[in-house]
Amino acid sequence: MKKMIKKVLFGALLVGAVAVMGACSETVEGTEKDSGGKDSSSYPTKPIEIVVPAGAGGDTDLNTRTMAKYLEKELGTTMIITNVNAAGGTTGTKKVLDSKPDGYTVLSYHNSTLISKILGLVDYTYSDFDVAGMGVMDKGNAFVVNNKSEFKSLDDLIAFAKENPEKVTVATEVGSFTHLQLLAFEAATGTKFNIVDVGGASDKITALLGGRIDIIPTQLGLVNSYVESGDFRALGIMSDERLKAAPDVPTFKEQGVDLVMDKFFFWGFPKGTPEEIVDTFTKALEKVVANEEYQKEMEGFMVEPVYLNPAEANELMEKEDKFYTELNPQ
Amino acid sequence: MIEMLLAGFTSVMTIKIILLIVMGVALGLVFGSIPGLTATMAIAICLPITYGMDPIAGMSLLMGLYIGGVSGGLIPAILLKLPGTPSSIATTFDGYPMAQKGEAGKAFSFAIVSSFLGGLLSIIVLIMIAPPLGKIALQFGPFEYFAIVIFSLTLIASLSGDSLPKGVMAGLIGIGFAMVGSAPIDAFPRFTFGFSSLDAGFDLLPVLIGLFAISEILLVAEKKYKNKLKVDIKNISYKVTIKEYLDQKWNFLRSSVIGVGIGILPGIGGGTANLIAYAAAKNASKTPEKYGEGIPNGVVASESSNNAAIGGALVPLVSLGIPGDTVTAMLLGGLILHGLQPGPLLMQNHGDVVFGIFAALLIANIFMALFLFIGMKGFIRLLSIPQNILLPIIITLCVVGAYGVNSRLFDVGALLFFGVLGYFMVKFKYPLTPLVLGFILGPLLETNLRRGLMLSQGDFMPFLTEPIAAFFLLVTVASLGLKFYSGWKKKRRLKVY
Repeated sequence: MKKMIKKVLFGALLVGAVAVMGACSETVEGTEKDSGGKDSSSYPTKPIEIVVPAGAGGDTDLNTRTMAKYLEKELGTTMIITNVNAAGGTTGTKKVLDSKPDGYTVLSYHNSTLISKILGLVDYTYSDFDVAGMGVMDKGNAFVVNNKSEFKSLDDLIAFAKENPEKVTVATEVGSFTHLQLLAFEAATGTKFNIVDVGGASDKITALLGGRIDIIPTQLGLVNSYVESGDFRALGIMSDERLKAAPDVPTFKEQGVDLVMDKFFFWGFPKGTPEEIVDTFTKALEKVVANEEYQKEMEGFMVEPVYLNPAEANELMEKEDKFYTELNPQ
Repeated sequence: MIEMLLAGFTSVMTIKIILLIVMGVALGLVFGSIPGLTATMAIAICLPITYGMDPIAGMSLLMGLYIGGVSGGLIPAILLKLPGTPSSIATTFDGYPMAQKGEAGKAFSFAIVSSFLGGLLSIIVLIMIAPPLGKIALQFGPFEYFAIVIFSLTLIASLSGDSLPKGVMAGLIGIGFAMVGSAPIDAFPRFTFGFSSLDAGFDLLPVLIGLFAISEILLVAEKKYKNKLKVDIKNISYKVTIKEYLDQKWNFLRSSVIGVGIGILPGIGGGTANLIAYAAAKNASKTPEKYGEGIPNGVVASESSNNAAIGGALVPLVSLGIPGDTVTAMLLGGLILHGLQPGPLLMQNHGDVVFGIFAALLIANIFMALFLFIGMKGFIRLLSIPQNILLPIIITLCVVGAYGVNSRLFDVGALLFFGVLGYFMVKFKYPLTPLVLGFILGPLLETNLRRGLMLSQGDFMPFLTEPIAAFFLLVTVASLGLKFYSGWKKKRRLKVY
C-alpha cells in the first residue's frame, strides 16, 4: 500500500514539475522570435488576439471593444479580446511583448505603459513595441467635486490649498495617470494635497459620493450621469479646448493653470512584427476612425475619435514620456 | 412600482427574450458547474453576442448567465467535493458528506430550494429598496472595510476543524501567498525572486481549484484500490418533507441576509458570503459538531447566501452605477455598450430597461430551479461514471479553466502547485478553508489598512472611532471573548467531573 502512495506522490510531483517547466518555457518560447508569417501580404488569415491589460467594463476595455467591433469588419477576421488585469497592467503588456511578432497578438493600452517604466516597475515602455497608431483620445480629464463642496472653481481650490497645505484630500490610484495629473497640478500651482489611494474609477466615485474625499481626478465620460443628476460638479478639464459634449465645463487653461494632459489609447505589436502587417492594421484603424458610425458611438462615451499614424503616435508618446519623467512621480 | 414591474414583465415576455434567458441559464449552469469556468467568463464570452440585440434582450441573456453561473457550482460541490465557483466552497462541507451517505438527492433538493429562495429574496430586496441600501454601501470606506475583514478573519476559528492552531496557521499561509506579486497601492513586486511571471501574484481561481479539486483527485487516486465508492443510484431518495424545509427557516433567513449584506459591499462577493453564512449557521447551531458530517443546514446556509449575494451585488450597480464584483463590472460594461449610462439616473432615464432586467432576473431564477430539478437525476448519474474516467476529465477541465482566467500558462503551474500543497495539508490534517479565507481577505485587509492610513495621514484612531468600524471591532472582540469563555467553561467542567 505504501508503495502505491509513493507512486502516486511521485506521479503528482512529476506532473507539477512538468507544469512548472511548461510555465517557465512560455517565456523562452516568446523570446525565440521567428520572422513572423511569410505570407504577410494575406494578413490576417486567422483571429487576432487583442490584449487589454485592464478589467472588463472599464474605459480601456470599452474603447477597445468598440474599436474591435469595427476592425472586425475592416480586416475581415475575428477579434478576440483578452483582459489581463493584473499588476497595474504590466502583466498584459508583458504578455504581448513576449508573444510571437506575427501580427496576431496586439496590445491596446494607454498612458500607464509609460508610467510603469518611469516608476521603475518594469524595464520596457512604448518604444519596445511596434506602434500601430492611435484611434481614440480622452480629452475630458477633469477635477470633479461633490456638489456640496465649497470649491466652485480652480481658483477657490488653489486659494484654499495654499492656505491649508495637505488639507485637501484628493483621490487617486497611486502610480496611475491621475496620480501624474495631481503631481503636475501641484507643480504648476505650488499647492500641496493629501493624495490618497482609493482604487479604480468606480471606487473613486464611491468615495466622492460617500464624502470621504474632496476631489477626484477622473474622466468626464465616466461621471457624466452623476453630474447630470446633480451629485457631482466638474471644476475643469485639462484639455486645450472645451469639449463639444460638455460645453459648460471650462478648461484648466481658461482658469489660469497651464496644464494639458490627455489620455491616449495606443495599439502596439511586439517588436519585429513585419512592417506590412503593422501597415495593414494601421490602415484599418484609420478607416474605422473615419467611419461616422464609430465616431458617433465614441462621442457617446465622451471620448474623441482621433487617428494618429505610428510616427505621430510615437512622437506624442515621446513628448509625454519626457514630461512625465520631469514630474518625477517617485 | 408594481406598474413598472408589470411593464418590465411585458417587455421580456416575448418568445425571443424568454429563449435568451433559458439559453443564458443553461449555459450559465454549465459554466458554473465546471470547476475553473465562472459566471464572469460566461458573461465575457457572451457580451459580444449581445451587441446586435436591443438592451433589454441583451441584458436578459446576461442575467440568465449570471444566475445560472452562480447556481451551477452546487452540482460538483455536492457530487464531487469540487467547488465549481468560489461561491460554492461551503456547499462542499456538508453537501459532499451527504452524497457519500447516499443522500445526494436530498442535498440537491435542499440546495436548489435554498438557491431559489435566496435568489428570490435578494431580487425582491433589489426591486424594493435598492436606492436606500446603495446609500448605506457608500458609508463603507477603508476604516469600515478593515473592521469587517478583521471580523471575517476571526471566522477561521469556526472553520478550523479540530485544531485551532492548525487553522490559524493555514490562514496565515493563505495571507502569505496572497502577498506574492504586486503590492497593493504602489504595485511594488514582492516575493517574486526576480521571476516576472510572479509579478501578478496568484489568481484566486487556480488557488481555489488547486486546493480543493486537484488535491481531492490526488487523494481519491490514492484511495482507489482501498475502497470503491459505491452509491446505490436507484435508491437515492429525493424527498424532503415540508417540515424539514420549515426547520431551516431561520437558518435560511440569516444566511440570505448575510448574502445580501455582503453582496452589497463592493469588493466582497459570493465567495466570502457563503463561508461567512456557513460559519454563522454553525455558531448559531445547538449541534455545531454535526456540521461537516452531512447536515442539510450547511448546504442551506451556503446555497441561500451565495444566490442572495446576486441581488445584493446588483444593488449598487442599479442604484449608483458602482459594480460590486467582477461579474457586475462586466454587466456595467454591458450597459454602457448598449448606450445606457449607469449611475444614479439609470432608474429615472431607463426605468423600462431596469425593470426589464428585474423581470428577467425573476424569470431566470425560476428557470434555474426548474433546470436543476429536472437535471438532478442526470447529474447524480455522474457518480456512476467510473472515477478513473471521470477524474482525468475533471483535471483537464481544471487546467483549461485555470488557463482561461488570464490566458497564462503560469496559472496552470500554480494550479498544480496548490493541488500538491492541498494534498499535503489534508494528509497532515491542516484545514483548507482558512487558507482560502486568508488568501481572499489578506489583500483586502492590507489595502484598506494602507488606504485608511493615507486618508487619516498616519493616524490609527479613526479605525477605532468611526462608528461602523467600531461596531464591527466590538462584535469581533465580543464573539472571540465568548468563544474563549465557553472553551474555558468546558475545560473546567471536565476537570470537576
